[in-house]
Parts: sequence; C-alpha cells; structure tokens
Amino acid sequence: MSGAGKTDQLRLGFMETMEVEGRGHIGGLLITNKNGRPLEFQCTTPVKPNRTQEILFGETLQSWLLGELIGSTLLDRVSIKPDMIITSDPNLLELRNHTSIPVACAADAKSKVAEQGGTLRLGGSLLRFHAGHDTDADALSKQKHLIPDSADLAEPLERVREALAETVRTVFAR
Amino acid sequence: MTEPIDLTTDSSAAVDPALLAEAKRSLRVDVAQTGFNPALGRRPAIETQAISLNTVLDFVPSWTARRIPVKCIGLTLPEGMEFLPPKTDTTKSTDGVELKKIAPPKQISEDGEEVQKPRKVTRIKPPTDALSLQDRLFYLLQPPLESWLADQELIMPFEPFGYQYEGIAWLFASHSALLADEMGLGKTMQTITAIRLLLRCGQARRIVLICPKPLIPNWQREFKTWAEELPVVTVEGNGTRRKMLWTMPGIPILIANYESMARDIAEIPEDEQPKFDLLVLDEAQRIKNRDSRTAESARSIKRRRSWALTGTPIENRPEELAALFEFMEVIPKAANPDLRQLSKLAKKYILRRTKDLVMKDMPPRIDRDAELELTDAQELAYRTAEKDGIVQLNSMGDSITVQHVFELVLRLKQITNFDPLTGESAKFERLFADMEEIAASGGKAILFSQWTKTIDWMAPKLKEFNPLIYHGGVPTKQREPILAKFKEDPKAHILLMSYGTGAVGLNLQFAGYVFLFDRWWNPAIEDQAINRAHRIGVKNPVIVTRFISKNTIEERIDRVLREKRELSEAILGEGDNNNVSLGMNATEIFGLFDLRARHKGGSKSIGPKPVEPQTDAA
Repeated sequence: MSGAGKTDQLRLGFMETMEVEGRGHIGGLLITNKNGRPLEFQCTTPVKPNRTQEILFGETLQSWLLGELIGSTLLDRVSIKPDMIITSDPNLLELRNHTSIPVACAADAKSKVAEQGGTLRLGGSLLRFHAGHDTDADALSKQKHLIPDSADLAEPLERVREALAETVRTVFAR
Repeated sequence: MTEPIDLTTDSSAAVDPALLAEAKRSLRVDVAQTGFNPALGRRPAIETQAISLNTVLDFVPSWTARRIPVKCIGLTLPEGMEFLPPKTDTTKSTDGVELKKIAPPKQISEDGEEVQKPRKVTRIKPPTDALSLQDRLFYLLQPPLESWLADQELIMPFEPFGYQYEGIAWLFASHSALLADEMGLGKTMQTITAIRLLLRCGQARRIVLICPKPLIPNWQREFKTWAEELPVVTVEGNGTRRKMLWTMPGIPILIANYESMARDIAEIPEDEQPKFDLLVLDEAQRIKNRDSRTAESARSIKRRRSWALTGTPIENRPEELAALFEFMEVIPKAANPDLRQLSKLAKKYILRRTKDLVMKDMPPRIDRDAELELTDAQELAYRTAEKDGIVQLNSMGDSITVQHVFELVLRLKQITNFDPLTGESAKFERLFADMEEIAASGGKAILFSQWTKTIDWMAPKLKEFNPLIYHGGVPTKQREPILAKFKEDPKAHILLMSYGTGAVGLNLQFAGYVFLFDRWWNPAIEDQAINRAHRIGVKNPVIVTRFISKNTIEERIDRVLREKRELSEAILGEGDNNNVSLGMNATEIFGLFDLRARHKGGSKSIGPKPVEPQTDAA
C-alpha cells in the first residue's frame, strides 16, 4: 500500500450475486481501497433454497437468500471489513438489517431520481440506502471527500461479476 | 362419554332453542318410502364428543428457519511496495523539460453541450498459462488501467495511447513476453509502467533491467519521467561494489549493461546468486546468438518473469527468435522450432505493433532515395579498386574467404563516400546543398554513417551548420550534453552519428531530416536509426534521404536486402512492411561480385555488430 493509502483508510466493499443454472446463487464481495485497488475477494459456493424455503419465504425469498444468507456470510468471512458496501441489486439491501455497515445500491448518477433522504451522490453514482437506515447517507457524506468525483463506483461491480463468472467457469462448471 | 341428545324431544332445557331448530333442519334425512323398512323412518340418534383444545395431534409438520451452510472461496491480494507518492505537478519533468498533459478531445453536441464520450477501458486479462483460480482472479480483479493509472498514487506525465494501455496490460499479465513494437512506439514507457504496476500491487519486489551501456542514461531519464517515485540503482563501479549491488536485497529496480551482466553474474558464487522477480532485456537482439556468453549469462539469472524488448526480433535469421524464446523459457533448451512453430509461439508470446497499424494520425515518414553519380575522381578510384580487387580475389583460388570479399566491399563503400585522394564526394555535395536549405528554414538533421572516419572527415566541412558529433569515439559522459545541445541550440543544425552508437534508444523527434550517408548491412538497423527522429511526439513529417551511388556496390547491396524483406513478415505477421530485418550472409556477399562461396557454413552472418560502439570501423 502506498503512503497515501495508509492515511486514508477508507475501504469499500462491492457485492454482487449471480444465478448459476440448476445450482442456485453465488455471491462475491470485493474489498478495495478508496482508489478501487483490490485488497480482498471472497465468493460463495452456490446456494439453492429447497421447496419448503421457497414456499415459506414467499416474496421475501430473494432478499433472505441474497441479502441475509449470502451477504452476511461474505461479510463474516472477509478479514478486511469495509466502511460501506455497494451493490447493484436492491435485494442485497436486506443485508443492512444484519450488519452495522451501511449498504447502498448504486444507480447511474444521471438518473432523474432526485437527491433526497436516503440517497447520496458519490463519484459518478447515486447511492440509495435501505429505507430503515436512511441516516446512513448522512453518516457517509462525511467521507465523501475521500472519493474523487471521477470515481466510477459501478465499475468494481463489473469486476465482481467477471470474477464470479470466472469462478463458475473454472470450478462449478466441472 | 356423554349421553346422546334426543333431537325428537324439546325437553333439553340446556340447549338453545334456535340452535336446536337449526340442528333439526340440517340433520333431516330424506328416506325413500318403500314401505318395506319402517325403521328408516325413525330419526337417527347422533353421538357427540367434546375434545380438549390442548390435545397433541399425532402428526404436526414442523420447520425451523435454520441457516444453510455456505462455503466461501477467498483471495487476499498481496500488499504492494510502499513508495513516496509522485509529485502532483506534472507540468515539468525532473530534467526541467516542459511536459504537456494530453487531454482527450471534447465533443460538442448539436445543442452546444459538451458530450462525455464513453471512455474506453483496458481490462487486464489473465494470462493463458495462469491455471489456478486464484491466479486468474488476481488479474480479473485489477481495476481498468485507465482508472488505475489516473488515481492519485500513479500520476502519469502524459496520457498513454490506447495501444500503449494494451501493451502495459499485456506485459503486466505476462511471465514470458517479447514486446517487439516498432521503434518509436514507446516500448520504454510501456515497460516502465508495467514494472510500476507490478511493484505497486506486490507482484514484484526485485527487478533487473539489462540494456546496452549507452542506453543506461536514457533508461534513468525515462524512469524519472514515467515513475519518478521508483528507486532505480545502476550497477557500476569496481567489482566489489558491483557484486554488492547485484546481491544486495531491497533494491526494487537495478539497471545493468550487458557486459556487466556477463562478467559479474559469472563471478558470483552459486549460493549467492541473486534472484529476481523480473528480468528485462532491452535491445534483446543482443542475445540472438544462443551460445554467446551474454545469452548464457542472461539465461542463468534466476527470475520469475522474463521480458525481452526489441524492435527487431529477427535481424538476420529466424533462429534468432528461438534464442529469445529460450531466454523466455517457452521452448526447451537448445530446441530448434521450425517456421510454423515459431509463428505459433510468436502469436502467444510476442506483441508487435507497427506505426502503420497504430499511429494513423502520426506525421508520415517520407523516404527518398538519392541515387547519385560518382564524381570523376571517385569513379576512377572506384573502378580501379574494383577491378584490382576482383582480379586479386580470383587469383586467390580456394584460399579466398568471406573476409577477403568483405574487405573489398568496405573499400568500395568508402570510395562511394569520398575519394581518399582528392576528397571529392558526390554525396557530400548533395548533403551540403540540402543542409543550406534546412538551416535556412531553422530545421535540424541527423546524419548516419558506418564510419567514424567519414564523420570526422565531413565535420569541418559542415562548420557553418555547427555540426555535433556523436559516435563511439565520444566518451560516454560527454554524449548526453551533446544531445542536449543539439536539442536546445537553434544554431546546431546537424548531428553526425554512427549507426553503432546512435541507432538505438535515443529520442530525437525534433529533427525533421535524416540522412543515411552510407548503407548499413541490415535495413532493420537503418530503420532503427531513422526512428530516432520519426517517433512518438514528432510534429512534422520526417524526410529520410538514403544516399546510393549509382552503378556501385551500394546498389547491389540494396537490391539483395530488398529481396529478403519477406521472411520477417511471414513470421511476425502483416503490417511489417517498413521494418524488415534480414542482413546479408556470406553467400550473398560473395554473390555481390559473382563469386561463389568456397567454404561450407555460407549462411554465417558477417558484418560489424551494430550496437557496440567498439565495433565501429575506423
């Protein structure tokens, strides 16, 4: 790590999930420094709910599976804990109910969604927070200056998706 | 058990009358009146039973929300090395040269607003030989080069071109690589940046770069420009000091010359041999002879990655490429791959781009062959020398060697430069006329010759153009100031260089004219020389003038070299139309005088080695 990296210890987490045909869902969490340099990556093996779970969780199945089950596991496993978690999947916002770390869903900054309570414009993205934790936006806005305006917070999510696809190709497709 | 309730009586005071009436209505049984079974006409008696709500039933499906066990695969990326961050002021390089940051052109939409063009991103791809998931994920998880290099930790003085980003990404992910971009496309910058990234992300901690001695100042300067925060140490001094530098841990980047490498590595005991994460050979054609001490020494250095840099991967024979592949450890020791195999390996391990392919908007290089008639005095001297020489060669019978023929060629070539008796020179007359025009317009020219003697002969005659001399006879320490003066002094209009010393590694793109006073044995070396001026950063077309004396040995040499230009294309692919590399062998030298090679081994390449100053003739 560079000297600059040590003084500003902002760590960002980027979490995505992917469905593997016939095997369920896998999830990945990439921890980077404020400049997007990778520090740690964890991904899960595929998780598939059984029929009972599908019936009983009903509409909450996805948020339980992705947010609580996969998300919490990944967060437990990383040794470098992020200061915030960014995802593109609203289902993963459920993770916020099981951790004290803010979780935000990244939308394109050019989207017409007005900045309001529960959202924060960071880098090139508009972040939307969990409805039950809308003070997260205020808390994080204090660290806004650490992230340059030119930063593309959606880009590391692409890396996570590529890494998940590579994992599926290499390990689970055998 | 309770007594049955008689629904036929209304005597039960405990029962709600309304409920009783409903029960009667709902329990009415219609029975077919057959007359044979009067019992059916009787009202049924019903028994009821009270059940406690606390009773446990025999079967109750139950489910508890248990957490499904989830397994994880983890990857911790190595910590990079810690360096001082580069200076944020990028407008001046360390040697005071003004730098200009290149910004992409802005697009304006029809309504006058600035349009943000989606920026191309260069992703690092895992190398094909990376098999483990962790290795592959390491490369996939790196940020796009553009954003990585633009962040605060890695300030770049210039915005690299797209093909340079690709080259950096390719080098970064390669354990064995031959970067063979044509001269002038920025091999140095791509290599330095890839090294910078390897050090930054902990993939390398100890790197050694080997280059020809005259290029060491060039590499030092380029490191300061492109990665000024990286500590670079040059191997120099006496033997003890050099050994200490080779073996001392904690030096991220070591620069050494080929001679030092060959000498010092052999003297270090086996158990003290240094180990490097990366060994880079600049001008790697220096190890084209696999059995040479230099090549053996380079191969003996312990390292994890092997990169070779050269603009001319094949100077004379395809086998030279095999020597580079052996260094890169992609073929077994002493293996001799055929052309098909070489071509296959080239696709995997060689990255070569030509100016034609990548720099479409670069000002062109205009080649013009100046075919000159010899002056009368030169003509007489030439014909006499040729006639006498051939007679002498024929009289030698079987004792003739290629060296004898070669001596005659050299003598004739010298006469085409100038007549040794009278000093007459058709080439010089033409040069002087051109220089008057160039100087009048404030231009600058570089002249190359094979002989330092020719350079020293013409320098006083070009006095009015303030000539500067740069050849093997000039001490190394004086060379940099000469180049600086040529760049900065508006009155210095011409730089006289020898092919051996000036052909490689120098950046002289402010010179708009190049004169090849005599022809080198190998067009690849001539191209290297020309590309001192025609390289990235050049603002105007570069006019190249090759002097060829008509009806002389120079014409014949030129014809032979032109005919051999196709082999390099066959191996390295298309786009190599202006940088071909096959030099002349002994059989062809004999053929210049219609003589046959009398000995076996006719394919042995002859001619001075171009990059070593001491091989300069004269």
